[in-house]
Amino acid sequence: MALLQIAEPGQSPQPHQRRLAVGIDLGTTNSLVAALRSGVSAPIADADGQVILPSAVRYHSDRVEVGSVAKAAAASDPFNTVLSVKRLMGRGLADVKQLGEQLPYRFVGGESHMPFIETVQGAKSPVEVSAEILKVLRVRAEAALGGDLVGAVITVPAYFDDAQRQATKDAARLAGLNVLRLLNEPTAAAVAYGLDQNAEGVVAIYDLGGGTFDISILRLTGGVFEVLATGGDTALGGDDFDHAIAGWIVEQAGLSTDIAPGEQRGLLHAACAAKEALTNADSVSVSFGAWSGELSRAHFDSLIEPMLQRSLKACRRAVRDANIEVDEVKAVVMVGGSTRVPRVRTVVGELFGRTPLTDIDPDQVVAIGAAIQADTLAGNKRNGEELLLLDVIPLSLGLETMGGLMEKVIPRNTTIPVARAQDFTTYKDGQTAMMIHVLQGERELISDCRSLARFELRGIPAMVAGAAKIRVTFQVDADGLLSVAARELASGVEASIQVKPSYGLTDGEIARMLQDSFQNAGDDKVARVLREQQVDAQRLIEAVQAALEADGERLLDAEERMVIDLQMQELSELMKGSDGYAIEQQTKRLSQVTDAFAARRLDSTVKAALAGRNLNEIEDN
Amino acid sequence: MGTPCHFALFDLQPSFRLDLEQLATRYRELARSVHPDRFADASEREQRLALEHSASLNEAYQTLKNAPKRARYLLALRGHELPLEVTVQDPEFLMQQMQWREELEDLQDSADLAGVATFKRRLKAAQDELNDRFAACWDESARIDEAERLVRRMQFLDKLSYEVRQLEERLDD
Repeated sequence: MALLQIAEPGQSPQPHQRRLAVGIDLGTTNSLVAALRSGVSAPIADADGQVILPSAVRYHSDRVEVGSVAKAAAASDPFNTVLSVKRLMGRGLADVKQLGEQLPYRFVGGESHMPFIETVQGAKSPVEVSAEILKVLRVRAEAALGGDLVGAVITVPAYFDDAQRQATKDAARLAGLNVLRLLNEPTAAAVAYGLDQNAEGVVAIYDLGGGTFDISILRLTGGVFEVLATGGDTALGGDDFDHAIAGWIVEQAGLSTDIAPGEQRGLLHAACAAKEALTNADSVSVSFGAWSGELSRAHFDSLIEPMLQRSLKACRRAVRDANIEVDEVKAVVMVGGSTRVPRVRTVVGELFGRTPLTDIDPDQVVAIGAAIQADTLAGNKRNGEELLLLDVIPLSLGLETMGGLMEKVIPRNTTIPVARAQDFTTYKDGQTAMMIHVLQGERELISDCRSLARFELRGIPAMVAGAAKIRVTFQVDADGLLSVAARELASGVEASIQVKPSYGLTDGEIARMLQDSFQNAGDDKVARVLREQQVDAQRLIEAVQAALEADGERLLDAEERMVIDLQMQELSELMKGSDGYAIEQQTKRLSQVTDAFAARRLDSTVKAALAGRNLNEIEDN
Repeated sequence: MGTPCHFALFDLQPSFRLDLEQLATRYRELARSVHPDRFADASEREQRLALEHSASLNEAYQTLKNAPKRARYLLALRGHELPLEVTVQDPEFLMQQMQWREELEDLQDSADLAGVATFKRRLKAAQDELNDRFAACWDESARIDEAERLVRRMQFLDKLSYEVRQLEERLDD
């Protein structure tokens, strides 16, 4: 029985052993997948040589179309063709109505409060629609790279809240992707730009996409990308420019504002074409139906001015939050297709007092940066210093307190990962449960903030009112996702926590969708689950192998080492069979016996860093 | 699991005077070794540990980087944990507090941006002065009462500078 061949840590693995990982930019208008190959990060093209995949999904009764073909049908089949689904991720039905635009879809409510779209294939949640786009990109990448993906880094707007991020992760899961990290789009762009230019100092990333706006201020110091502050607006983007022009057309053409869905799509399409034409012309002729007219760039600029001002206000706030002066910003980078609009470049240049940089294609820069991080996270060690991304939570996290007020627990722009504790007590004798309402936002009233979830704590030991001291720990991980733990301090009892997300899919809904996707893919569910268990087992074995090679001799005694080797051998054997349950159990067992070893390794790494020495030096002793 | 004191984490002696550049450099080095990104391909247990260590590191850094928080932490290390609510028995400072607040309200009513800039400068100068006084008093371990008083004042001014930023944001409308 051959052991898996693992390259020694510190040496780059053979090409055929390289762990395949990609960066995915799941955009409002366009999506891309990129990968690092031969040291160069670049987007992966489809069979026709196109790198951009329009974020359009069309449901037929018997199949799903994704991309340009789907987009082209938007006007003729508005109910079944979903565009800009990113704007619906992590949102509720009420938000969708508030977005103000006339979305042509037929919405229905689900178990959760997410808006499901009624299509010819039944009700689809935005998460499922996004999964279709991700699936296409995954298949494209696997074909181009010649193998299964270890995982993907998927980018999200920096200003996305917890619900929007969780929805993105759920979509990736449905698409069969292992998410290595959810990466903020401006940070991804900073990586691409920073590594390209070997930049140091404070940079600003102005990211205006189809549906979202982000501004991030970062400090680059020798491979460490530290986000100082981030801001934005998840409902501001190029789509809004299109709507402004569409409104102008409706007015000029004397049309009624009650337009049929198909026509509305056609209208937005004409508006978008006009917007793009004005990038290189002073005026453009626009026609819609029987009407035609002339739109000047000057008038277009006046139509979008209020939106641009909103973005500049967010920029000024980010600069304040970063605790810097505007002139400390050494470079401003333009990201997102909408930054091609000349007026955008002008106003941003005016605010920062310098010409914005557009060296890297604004449509591709995010995916390119994500692919670089994906390669590192997948475990392909690089020579020299690996980049380190220190990101922040974009919105304050807090709790509902008496009187409908929001009390902040973790302020915005706090570096993540972060953990904060808050102590609570009971107010009735014998109280054994408690409900905590968590929100995100900056305002005082909870009605002005974003409800994230309600956490029900159960199993609090019954005591006299006020005697229990329950420490609730809020932890935000590197993906920007919140988890909550609670413990009664006197007794040490851990409370069990049931999470009820305000805008997320329920566990039941996800399970059903996963089931559907197995069936649609024609996979036998059992075979699929077995394969997942084998992949998990393999991953753990590889990780343990690498850990043993690095620190086994130094941190384990002979007996401990033997136990681990035995369990690993057992798992390798079981993996070859088809008893999924046994594989799962043995994976857990191996994980358990390597627990202490893992803890020792981490302590040792920290001590080494403290002592200011490189880990390699210690191994040489 | 016993947590090392924040200073020890950065291999520093507990003291109020701090080389912030050196602190930042050490922070980046330490962050490299414990950040979850470094363990993306490791076991779940390692990932969870990395997450906890990172959160602790970030907490320590945030505390030491900020002068009032650092001062408060130093007091706590000596067993004098100050409650967060600032109940001031500090009649001398009370007058100044009221003056600062009135000025801020006036600035808000008059929407005077230039005035806000001046206010910020004076606020910074006042904070620097308090820092110097605390540093001087901290070296003499007998003056705990004064140290506590100074920390409360530092906390007040820190809160005030946060309110100034909020005012700037409101005036940006």
